[in-house]
Amino acid sequence: MTKTALITIIFLTSVVIGILVGPTPLDAQILQLRVWRVILGIFAGGVLAFCGCLLQGLFGNPLVEPYTLGSASGAALGAAVGILVFGAISPVLAFFGSLGVGFFVYTIARIEGGLLRDRLILAGVVMSFLCSSLVMIVMVMGGRELYEILYLLMGYLGIIINDSNRLMIIALIIIALGLVAFLYRFHRELDIISQGTETAAGMGINIQVFSLIVFFSSALLVGLVVSLVGAIGFVGLIIPHVSKLLFGPKHRFNLGASFILGATFLLLADTLSRIITVYELPVGVVTSLVGVPFFIYLYKR
Amino acid sequence: MHSSSFKTLLTTCLLLLCIARCDREETTDEYRIVSLSPAMTEILFSIGAGDRIVGVTTFCDFPPQAKKITKVGDFSHPSIERIIALKPDLVIVNLPEQTRTKKDLDRLKIRTFVSSPHSLSEIYAELSALGTTLGLHEAADSLILYMKRNIDSVHTLRRKKVYVEISPRPIVTIGVATFLNDMIREAGGENIFADLDKDYPTVSQEAVIARDPEIIIVLHPQDITGRIGWQSIRAIEERRVHTGLNPDHLMRPGPRLVEGYWALKEIIND
Amino acid sequence: MIAFRAKNVSFRYDVKKVVEDVTLSLTESEFVGIIGPNGAGKSTMLRLMCGILKPVTGEIELFGAELSGQPQRKVAQRVAFVPQETHFALNFAVEEVIMTGRYPYQRPFAREKKEDFEAVNNAINVAAVDDLRKRPVNSLSSGERQRVVIARALAQFPQLLLLDEPTSHLDLHHQYAIMELLKELNARGLTVVIVHHDLNLASLYCQRLVLMHRGRIKATGTPHELIKRRILKEVYETEVLVMEHPEKGVPQVFLRSG
Repeated sequence: MTKTALITIIFLTSVVIGILVGPTPLDAQILQLRVWRVILGIFAGGVLAFCGCLLQGLFGNPLVEPYTLGSASGAALGAAVGILVFGAISPVLAFFGSLGVGFFVYTIARIEGGLLRDRLILAGVVMSFLCSSLVMIVMVMGGRELYEILYLLMGYLGIIINDSNRLMIIALIIIALGLVAFLYRFHRELDIISQGTETAAGMGINIQVFSLIVFFSSALLVGLVVSLVGAIGFVGLIIPHVSKLLFGPKHRFNLGASFILGATFLLLADTLSRIITVYELPVGVVTSLVGVPFFIYLYKR
Repeated sequence: MHSSSFKTLLTTCLLLLCIARCDREETTDEYRIVSLSPAMTEILFSIGAGDRIVGVTTFCDFPPQAKKITKVGDFSHPSIERIIALKPDLVIVNLPEQTRTKKDLDRLKIRTFVSSPHSLSEIYAELSALGTTLGLHEAADSLILYMKRNIDSVHTLRRKKVYVEISPRPIVTIGVATFLNDMIREAGGENIFADLDKDYPTVSQEAVIARDPEIIIVLHPQDITGRIGWQSIRAIEERRVHTGLNPDHLMRPGPRLVEGYWALKEIIND
Repeated sequence: MIAFRAKNVSFRYDVKKVVEDVTLSLTESEFVGIIGPNGAGKSTMLRLMCGILKPVTGEIELFGAELSGQPQRKVAQRVAFVPQETHFALNFAVEEVIMTGRYPYQRPFAREKKEDFEAVNNAINVAAVDDLRKRPVNSLSSGERQRVVIARALAQFPQLLLLDEPTSHLDLHHQYAIMELLKELNARGLTVVIVHHDLNLASLYCQRLVLMHRGRIKATGTPHELIKRRILKEVYETEVLVMEHPEKGVPQVFLRSG
């Protein structure tokens, strides 16, 4: 497969760029910093795009992703509450925030025998608004944590890694990658579900259980990502479409390619955010600038 | 340790002296003041106008008497209704944080005094203007004198590079447009981000590492010594990371800056 | 051998009973049509037969084994279901669609095996969709698409094929082609059950008809036994004429225009 080779090369290039390009000359210390940043970028970009691909497959809806479904905002809310209550971001609260919003959206959009495409997005946007207002309340109550929460909402990869959080970060990344590998096995189920829920049910897929697994796992994944680097938007929206353009609709290729391409995209966006200004620009700003027009284009289509 | 507690004692004495002197001064008006600035609350108390304050923010926690005054909200979200209810003659507002409140007050034709100091000289200018407004210029002048005399210039051959970290996530530091930047200079140091034409910029870890500070002042509770990528920074290698400082002494443009300055001077010229 | 047996099967959505106390058995290699007016419970019956819906009361057996005790994957190795219309959210190639019919036989992570490709090729040949195999499925006409879905069902290697109104959206040519295909499959030994609105097509192709009315089985029998003016008037509440097919001699229904 030459396309596989192509995206592998692009991915490796973006890793090299992520390590080499920056405002400061490379030395041993900066190298360490950049390597960690690249690890976080691969993790966050890959996982978000993977989740987007998974959710788009499950709902048969090209506009769905953790951000438009509101589950990223839910995670951010959970994480913001964690900042307020414990003075630190709590992955557990982020997970529950993401899960809670996910289920709420699911309930709103659910009708007899399926989900309404537009209602799913609408419910996601509405829940995002709700979460934003709740985050505002948290910000008002916190006051001094305002800036941290603001960055949490946009997402950025330049987080400080030290002796006390290093092990936790490694553990969270391993959990996330394990979950991604576990979910990858469902590529056939997703292919079949795209042909209709009855067809899937007839072939032995328990839609209820399957939806629960996907929903729960992607909420957990989004919670993990948000608790580390914040709510980075639109990676999960754009990348699965690019992957589909390159590899066709089969989820066997799409899930994997989404991960690699998502990682690539976020690494490049982060490099850009790093060199645009001296001030640290949240990488979510860059992804949103690319993502919003893309979303409108897809919606109009 | 010993010398710093001595200095605190000295400041307190000086402040008390100040207050005692101001009490005797004639005032022009029976003023009702709402202070939305913790620093200004401190200043008002030290120039003898503490008893005129009828409203403060929840952030106004010094001197202890300030805590007993009616609260009108927190620093970033004061309630305009509560302010009006106190029928103030003068409201002291902080810009840019309280721009909206200022606009509301302007519309209601309630007199405001704006505080937004970006340098030591601006602090002195504001103090002097406040003294004039309240008819307490003598007390204000003596406070200015006290601060100027204590925040004196240290002469050094080489300025040490100082990095101040206000918050870790994202990393917020101080730019050139802050009085803390001036204080570091007066104390014989040089803020590593003095080239940034801002007050409190967000910067990257790489920028800090590249600028290789000799002294790090941490104004938040997180431990920074174990950070990955930071180990080659001179301040960390030489264990010149200072954590125990009171942020209110460095970040609040009030009389207690003097204490903050003494602490800085000690750290930088150690 | 008995392919399918239902004993006192009932099903309901919420409180309304959709299928009530149905007892039915089918022998292998039968070609059976389920007919009846709208809302008679025909489609629900079909879904109960393949395990997509589970009966509230009663028992269903497939080839001698309890349906309720079997994992749906195992059921799908014997029974294939073709929905009325398939919407393809993703634009797969035809052969990829047909390959998904191998799902009940595949393990997670495992690649497609040789027998999977053989099954797909076989299904493509039988359903005569060879010239379409590389085409994107959404570029096909609805008749071609229905053939592909039947081919996907055939890749499941079913012994029982269930189709819900397989020709309802098709023109005359494709109606004929699909029904001929089903007849051919039946001739090879596959048990075929179709739900059909078109009484004439059902009468022409099915060996046996099951007439459903208000959730119950009104009657079963050959087209000659069931397609009668009196019975149809009672069930459909419509006056019709019944005449014999000029070639096949099976009964055909004509509406009377006022």
